Amino acid sequence: MPDQPSTTDVDRAAVATAVKRVVIAESRLAYRPEDIADDEPLNGKLLRVNSLGFLGMLVRLEDDLDLVLPDDIFVGRSFTLVSDLIDVVVEAAGADR
Amino acid sequence: MSAGATPTRWRSVLPHLGYQLPPDRSPVRPDGTQVTVNLPMELVRQSIRQREHWPIPDEVLDAYRRFRPTPLWRATGFERAVGARVPIYLKYEGGNISGSHKLNTALAQAYYYQQAGVEELVTGTGAGQWGTALAAACAWFGLRCTVFMVGSSLERKPYRGVLMRMLGAELHASPSGLTEVARAADGSTGNSLSLAIGEAVEYAAGRDGAAFCIGSGETYSILHQSVIGLEALDQLAALGVEADTVVGAVGAGSNFGGVALPFFADAAARGVPAPRLVAAESAATPKLTRGVYAYDRTDETGTGPLEAMYTIGSDYRIPDSHSAGLRFHGAAKLVSAMRHAGQVEAVAVGQVAALDAGRHLTRSEMVLPAPESGHALAVAAQLAGGDTERGARGPILVCVSGSGYLDLAAYQQLLAGELTDEEPAAAVLRAAQAGLEPVPAAPILAQVRR
Repeated sequence: MPDQPSTTDVDRAAVATAVKRVVIAESRLAYRPEDIADDEPLNGKLLRVNSLGFLGMLVRLEDDLDLVLPDDIFVGRSFTLVSDLIDVVVEAAGADR
Repeated sequence: MSAGATPTRWRSVLPHLGYQLPPDRSPVRPDGTQVTVNLPMELVRQSIRQREHWPIPDEVLDAYRRFRPTPLWRATGFERAVGARVPIYLKYEGGNISGSHKLNTALAQAYYYQQAGVEELVTGTGAGQWGTALAAACAWFGLRCTVFMVGSSLERKPYRGVLMRMLGAELHASPSGLTEVARAADGSTGNSLSLAIGEAVEYAAGRDGAAFCIGSGETYSILHQSVIGLEALDQLAALGVEADTVVGAVGAGSNFGGVALPFFADAAARGVPAPRLVAAESAATPKLTRGVYAYDRTDETGTGPLEAMYTIGSDYRIPDSHSAGLRFHGAAKLVSAMRHAGQVEAVAVGQVAALDAGRHLTRSEMVLPAPESGHALAVAAQLAGGDTERGARGPILVCVSGSGYLDLAAYQQLLAGELTDEEPAAAVLRAAQAGLEPVPAAPILAQVRR
């Protein structure tokens, strides 16, 4: 019997897709979520997410994933890669359930 | 006098505008490859979401109830003093420890930052009202507070500094010598408040557990200030009065927005025309009456976003005045958008007329207003006494945003006949605005007409 993905894996995959969808939209690109690697820089040659656009992105992620991101996860924290954002949203999604 | 009750929800005007606010633009000096967030999520939501009612947290409401509801009354003495044809109602926001309306949003912001794990708030202040309000809010919620206050203003109002220190704040006169942005400024361009704000931005970025707190022109600040207008709506209704005109002073716009925009939202929700909403600004910083609608920076560092605002140009060097709270180059993006859409009006008055209106209020109503509030009173007096074509046709509500006990030096100059007005020359304004990118007119106007 093949290995089944754990619930955590499935949640992370869904979150990763949602996160990539919003960073693509924020960067005004015509890519698919699967075209974006987890270790892609948020503000680099491909993606163009700055601190300003990031705030609106967080609210869109809340809407897309139907969760509430807690304040203490974000204030004073820096994000470099797509996976940094996926990690904190997965963390928040776990806490929100 | 109408007492009323403290609202338990803030009310946002965003769902009733008929258009989206123009998005901010990337800073002049980008923040590198890292993406940072220094704003609590609830403040982000309050700035973006098209949600009308926002519950006030119990902790903030508990603090509000120490000084709210604030009084509203018909100022019959002031009406006689200025020869008013129509009734004038005052809403007085100067009766709290900070002496101004700014405590309404300072308490909310301090609460959300504390919830987010921040231990220290850093800010810049002009007249000191915002700094005092934030110092009080930080004291209430157990946060450290550091304030950069415009040095010339601190010299004129040393007791503002004493009060901030009494509240536990660490106070620096700006330029302080503590920051690169102050060391780089030669004083030839820009204005002292944006430099103080720039110092606070830089200082906070270098301290663990600290966050920069912008002050009172943000969309969420105006939301928090809606308690003023919400109370006034109830208080006027209890008196059987419907306002024809609502007047508030504009520095960035939180006082005007706080008193006026709930009337706009209420009228929109009821499907009736809104009262005239009139922003009273300083003729020394006439952004809404002589400015351009353009993208401009909000502080001297250029690391903050470029916002769509009515601006006289952030490079314009604003002359010193006694209304330091109005000495900012731009209006809040929310107030600016509404001005652009024709939903609010603006009138500029000089400080002599403003302080003279304050003198009338002191003698006729036993209230000593802040010079900033004097601008709103002067405009209310103009509208109440003017011809029926341009003047008010019914009751005027005017917000007295703060008390003037720490501004007596200004009144001393007024009484001595030493006060003068200084308005920017057209050529100087054109030069300061020359490099700014205009906000495209089409989006807002097209959405309003739809």
